[in-house]
Amino acid sequence: MTIETLPDRRRGPRRAIAPSELDRGESLTGPRPVVVLNNVTKTYPNGRNALHEVDLVVPEGDFVFLVGPSGAGKSTLIRLLIRDELATEGTVMLDGDDLAKLPRRRVPRVRRKVGIVFQDFKLLPAKTARENIAFALEVTGTARNRIGPSVDRVMALVGLTAQADQYPHQLSGGEQQRTAIARALVHDPRIVIADEPTGNLDPLISWEIIQLLLRINELGVTVLMATHDADVVTALRKRVVALEDGHVMRDELGGGYHRR
Amino acid sequence: MLPAALRCGRLGSALISFLAFSLSRAWRSFWRNAAMSLAATATMTLMLLLLSGFWIVQAGMLAGLQFVEQKVQVVADLKDGTPESAVSTLQSKIAAMPEVIDVAYVSKDEALRRYQENRQARGEEDQTSFLGVNPLPASLEVRLRKADDFDIVTTALRADPNVQRVTNIAKLADQVATISQVLRTVGVALLAVIGAIVLFIVINTIRLAVVGRAEEIEIMRLVGASDAFIRWPFVFEGAFVGLIGAGVTLAILAGAADPLSRFMFDFFRILPLSLGSIARDVSLLVLGAGTGLGILGAWISVRTYLIR
Repeated sequence: MTIETLPDRRRGPRRAIAPSELDRGESLTGPRPVVVLNNVTKTYPNGRNALHEVDLVVPEGDFVFLVGPSGAGKSTLIRLLIRDELATEGTVMLDGDDLAKLPRRRVPRVRRKVGIVFQDFKLLPAKTARENIAFALEVTGTARNRIGPSVDRVMALVGLTAQADQYPHQLSGGEQQRTAIARALVHDPRIVIADEPTGNLDPLISWEIIQLLLRINELGVTVLMATHDADVVTALRKRVVALEDGHVMRDELGGGYHRR
Repeated sequence: MLPAALRCGRLGSALISFLAFSLSRAWRSFWRNAAMSLAATATMTLMLLLLSGFWIVQAGMLAGLQFVEQKVQVVADLKDGTPESAVSTLQSKIAAMPEVIDVAYVSKDEALRRYQENRQARGEEDQTSFLGVNPLPASLEVRLRKADDFDIVTTALRADPNVQRVTNIAKLADQVATISQVLRTVGVALLAVIGAIVLFIVINTIRLAVVGRAEEIEIMRLVGASDAFIRWPFVFEGAFVGLIGAGVTLAILAGAADPLSRFMFDFFRILPLSLGSIARDVSLLVLGAGTGLGILGAWISVRTYLIR
């Protein structure tokens, strides 16, 4: 496993911080937050209030579990982060960009900073694992000669090199999810958002996927994982953000799935 | 609209690789979804045939009408013994009128010669040789720009003392003017209606092909593909559908051109139809409409997925 090949973002070059960014509550010292939600409320056109005055800061390099029952607002929060939806009130900042003020043509660039992983994998059935991963680079205009090496790197990282030329229906659930994770990583994202990534997998395979996400986090990539899996959350003692009826009920480091 | 990479730096190579990506993706997905693509192409072909067929009929009718309109002329018979100077004065006076294309003088001898030729052409016996004198009058043939204007010209001719008789073409002129106006109006309206129907059907057919790939578009959006990268492969695919449809349509029309023109020839009688110009117009129409509709259909269909 050639984990070392993924660049460590924490030591990578940082762009200069403009004075205006200081006004947005960013500090010059310490890691810059990848995600900042400030007093965010989301009301859907049908009147459903999915999120209510949510504050959340995810610093760079963090590993955050997002827990809560179905309908608590986890999916809405994720949709806000990939700018599939816009907040009704409050601001959502991703890597220093206010998503509400982002011009439409800049949205794709910001989405490339987010690697997203779904419960249902969302792989294209007519493409091999390798082609599925390369697809993410092809459709964003990456030069052809850079696609091959990047795909090889992430496939090695998730341990899929041997299955590269198999189609999704030939892969096990865990392998499909690892393909999806590789695809999420291939753009060198600032944050990986995993929406119930183990929801369709049996416990043993789930652990493998969690281990993979932890390893990616160790390499410096921020990870936000929404999950129902109480065992995993409790065992890992990472930061836990609990949503309930659109409110943040709890945000604690080293927390369990349930309130103690 | 275009990705930033295309706008700044390494523009040439980025543009080429973008085009190569879009074209090859369009071509591959056209064949990967062959059933859908061929259905769209077949629809396109049928619609283009409808459009061009109507266009040809319309163009043929208008050409025929124009021919008839040019044939509308006022003939003024002159009294025998009118001096030549009086004739040329009248001729130039009428020719100066804005409604008139030209005025031709037909002498008594010329009139007789035409009459004999006409008889001969119909295979009838020439009986004029039994007459001692030429009974036909000399005349002025006045060609009009528009059939409607015959009244003004007729009045002007009747005012001259040397004019014996002016042929009455009121009814003919009226009919020609009315028919040509109705045909033009109805033709344009029908063409617009057919065009709208064709547009609607083609767009919906292509939309079906796009909807079938909604998942792919969704993934492209999620991995951060810019609108241009999502849109153009589909637009090129729409253009393929249009171009192939246009090609098939033109092939069918080329095969049908000969019997068709013979039919038109028979139908409209001896009309000097300029088939060359109609063929050119129809080729341009079919190619333009096919490609344009394909592109427009794809553009509109993909738009639904991009607006978010």
